[in-house]
Amino acid sequence: MNNLTFGRYSPYNTFTHKLDPRNKLFILVLLIVSIFLQFHIWSTTILISAAFLILFILFMLISKVSFIQLFKSMKSMWFLIFFILVVYIFIPNNNYTHEWYRFNAHYAIYWDSLYQAGYIILRIILMFCLTMILTSTTKPMDLTYAFEWYMTPLKIVRFPVHETAMTLSIALRFIPTLLDETERIMKAQESRGVDFAHGGLGKKFKAIISLIIPLFVSAIQRSEELSDAMEARGYDPRAKRTKYRKLTFSWRDAIALLVALAIFGGVLYLFIMDRIGIPNEQYIRLFEWIFKINPGF
Amino acid sequence: MNKIELKNISFSYSRDETEVVKHVSFKVREGSYVSVVGHNGSGKSTLARLIIGLLAPNEGEIYIDDELLTNKSVRKLRQKIGLVFQNPDNQFIGATVEDDIAFGLENRRIPRKDMQEIINNYAKRVGMDLFLTKEPSRLSGGQKQRVAIAGALALNPEILILDEATSMLDPKGKSDIRGLINEMKKNNPNLTILSITHDVEEAFDSDEVLVLNKGELAYKGKPKEVFANRKVLESLNLEMPFIMDLKDKLSKEGINIDNCENIDDIAEVLWPSK
Repeated sequence: MNNLTFGRYSPYNTFTHKLDPRNKLFILVLLIVSIFLQFHIWSTTILISAAFLILFILFMLISKVSFIQLFKSMKSMWFLIFFILVVYIFIPNNNYTHEWYRFNAHYAIYWDSLYQAGYIILRIILMFCLTMILTSTTKPMDLTYAFEWYMTPLKIVRFPVHETAMTLSIALRFIPTLLDETERIMKAQESRGVDFAHGGLGKKFKAIISLIIPLFVSAIQRSEELSDAMEARGYDPRAKRTKYRKLTFSWRDAIALLVALAIFGGVLYLFIMDRIGIPNEQYIRLFEWIFKINPGF
Repeated sequence: MNKIELKNISFSYSRDETEVVKHVSFKVREGSYVSVVGHNGSGKSTLARLIIGLLAPNEGEIYIDDELLTNKSVRKLRQKIGLVFQNPDNQFIGATVEDDIAFGLENRRIPRKDMQEIINNYAKRVGMDLFLTKEPSRLSGGQKQRVAIAGALALNPEILILDEATSMLDPKGKSDIRGLINEMKKNNPNLTILSITHDVEEAFDSDEVLVLNKGELAYKGKPKEVFANRKVLESLNLEMPFIMDLKDKLSKEGINIDNCENIDDIAEVLWPSK
């Protein structure tokens, strides 16, 4: 039950940990958008993505995100990565031009497809790194506060922002409690002869039922007691409340935001130049510029 | 002055069901420590929910500070009462100890700048000041219950109701909370405490004991009087507090311990140190 490794908060005290969760969320969006900008020349795109990868590895080192945890949680992605490779390589596309291996007159594998698949996989890994940095440096509850802050404008259309945030934070608060409960019920049922590990699908389903029903009953009882406790302490969802937790935007946030904006701005500038075309050379050829190779590679 | 007054209260969870509280009347004076005892299903937990207005009685009237509890007055009167429930997990609302104590303060619209001081103060009082940033999953049942008490006290209530607050705790947690209650009593003589419990040892500490049996008020009096009669206690499915039990058994053996107040006095009689 304790193998929920992905994105578990790790209590360090790094630069990233001290950032305002609202700011972190905004930077996450900025960087994800930057990752998804694609250029006309593939070497440019790959070069920029590689730069991002190096940058994110640097960020992970700063935030003390464990790489072992990252690889562990990426295990579940192998199938997806394999699937993407197969789809891109074996589904023909008329736009592909660089042939790699030809089976017969109708069918061939192209370098372009490998590039496309590789690029998508790289993007997924980059996004993975980013979310990993966010969730392992930010307490779930702080994320809820950030979401609540971003949703505040929705109050105008009478969206129950505060209630949603409260529900979310209580759900987060009760995850460990309910996991403990699940484990306890499982042990109790196993001691009565229920077998969760063996048997066919039907048998397993039956076993799961004996876990789920007590769990639901207890969760509902808990929620009733919890609402009593909240009411006894004067909670009224419609009334105005003061806030103990205050999110503060510090100089650290300013630095982080400036860095993120610079990265985003730089990549966006290249992207726009690439789209509208530049004199003499039609597209951005970053690779050739840096490594002084003649264009046309 | 009466802090809480119940007049002929009856309650059933639905119309067809038998009443779980039947024609109960009693008064709790300001600054007193009253215990309500009774075994499972005697209706004692329902009583707490009635007093704080989470449930409405079918019949009868409840007065808090001589003011009738109604739909209109419930929010106002509730502010005078702090309630600590039985299950330590199901009343822990905040993500950490400090957030949980802050929850009630936020509801009361206490300004943020005052909150930190109040939280530190009450956390210290229940001995949880070193655990402020801890999550509930890292606390023991007794610690969570102490946080719940701090959360209730932080709202500065005139009445503190403990609804079986120690029944899910281990012996260490139980004695800790008992000590805490007695200390609170010493520090704040005006605080009225209504403790609902089936632990007779805990009830023995109080000024007055009310015994509920099948929803009816069976006995009322000083703990020493109520717990003195073994036959009555047996008929109510209650145990005798240890010290009363010991005294009772010793006096049957012909040892005179009438003047003894506590365990040490009895030990002195049985085995004089000089």
